Amino acid sequence: MKRKNNSMTGLLLIPCYLLTLWLWVLPGLGFANSDPESSREGSYSPSIYHFVFLSAQNSMPAVQQEDEDREDKPDRIPDPLEPANRIFFHFNDKLYFWALKPLASGYKWVVPEDLRLGVRNFFTNLTTPIRLVNCLLQANFKGVGNETVRFLLNSTLGLAGFLDPARTELKIEKTDEDFGQTLGVWGIGPFFYIEWPILGSSSLRDTFGYAGDLLLDPKTYLLQSVPLSLAVRAYDQINETSLRIGEYEDFKRNTIDPYVAKREAYYQNRQYKIKKR
Amino acid sequence: MVRILRLFFSTLLLFCGIVSPAFSGEPQDQLRQTTDKVLAILSDPAFKSPDKAKVRRELILRTVDERFDWEEMARRSLGRHWLQRSPEEKQEFIRLFKDLLERVYMDKVEGYSWNKIIYEGEQIDGNYATVRVKVFTSKDQTIQVEYRTRKRENQWLIYDFLVEGVGVVSNYRTQFNDIIVKSSYQELIKRLKTKATQDGMDEKKK
Repeated sequence: MKRKNNSMTGLLLIPCYLLTLWLWVLPGLGFANSDPESSREGSYSPSIYHFVFLSAQNSMPAVQQEDEDREDKPDRIPDPLEPANRIFFHFNDKLYFWALKPLASGYKWVVPEDLRLGVRNFFTNLTTPIRLVNCLLQANFKGVGNETVRFLLNSTLGLAGFLDPARTELKIEKTDEDFGQTLGVWGIGPFFYIEWPILGSSSLRDTFGYAGDLLLDPKTYLLQSVPLSLAVRAYDQINETSLRIGEYEDFKRNTIDPYVAKREAYYQNRQYKIKKR
Repeated sequence: MVRILRLFFSTLLLFCGIVSPAFSGEPQDQLRQTTDKVLAILSDPAFKSPDKAKVRRELILRTVDERFDWEEMARRSLGRHWLQRSPEEKQEFIRLFKDLLERVYMDKVEGYSWNKIIYEGEQIDGNYATVRVKVFTSKDQTIQVEYRTRKRENQWLIYDFLVEGVGVVSNYRTQFNDIIVKSSYQELIKRLKTKATQDGMDEKKK
């Protein structure tokens, strides 16, 4: 049993190794530049970008400038790893169309939707510790209360979490908190964007957040074998995908550069969740 | 036990001031009118058959047209690059952007069943107003949408909307800016046009 725990820790450490590696490479990519205007462009010739931006700004009439203040300030996540991220984005895209979507479609064909919604509820209920602890860490006591009630009620009357009477009967929605958001509430920025293979959109902060959430996830402890744990996670993913077939396709159809669109959407959504709590 | 907890938390909610009945003013009313019209068309049995899909689509787009300020959206999505464009280029861009956004909107409207919409209130600041809406989907999800509107001749027109905090216009602005900076404005127009013809083909396949 001890050996198994070790291999689990080893699995958790892989992202950390990669991160240290990237952190070493970063200063060479110009990430160390703290000026938000130039770090926005990452490794792409900041001098040319600066020139274009400044010349455009100077030619703007004063009235226009005032109006421009109404628009959201360009607030973007630095992306010094863009070349690598784009490769992984491509990989994840293929993973979806070649593996995840066919599997989820077959599964969807066999299993009725109500059951799949139940499975989703079950997994959501199982990860209550993640949300509960992070509500506590953010001093969100309403969230702590809501998550406690939801867990007690849904685990019992909700038949081990397959049903969600807390939401349907008491109108108590889950409080979607994770450790990445907690770090954000504590004032830690995302640093930069990372597109992980398989796991998808993240940032440096949220990757540490994800590692923290794994420690709070009962699946990590209940399943003593790594293959079984991965299989359960894969199943969770397939079930979730079966309820969302078509969303990614729509997203790709509606964007001109899906990679950039996904990155910015991820960043904005995270900022929104951190602010909302 | 459950009842006690329920009581406890509902009082807690009260103290937190969560229960603030949304007073509704002009921006929200106008938005609601348009949304109600769209929902009425969607649920109208007269348009349910597949051969009526095109008629229904056009009817919805005409309704939505009244509420959206396409020019303002297009201008904002180009950001600082807008000023460098000639009047003809601006007109072409507005048309392409409108086509794109209409397709986005139709995907959202036709693809997901909206079970219920709750209007959560509005904030008015001079000629600008935000209206917050919560959409309940058939798959037990809630989606928070925030509409940004601007008053023009007694009409509050939408110039941006945020879905779960993700601003549609600012998202396009980042994409467009990326393409313009890395290649050119002409490349952006080329890609927008390719997108339109691609989607047109997808439409026929449907």
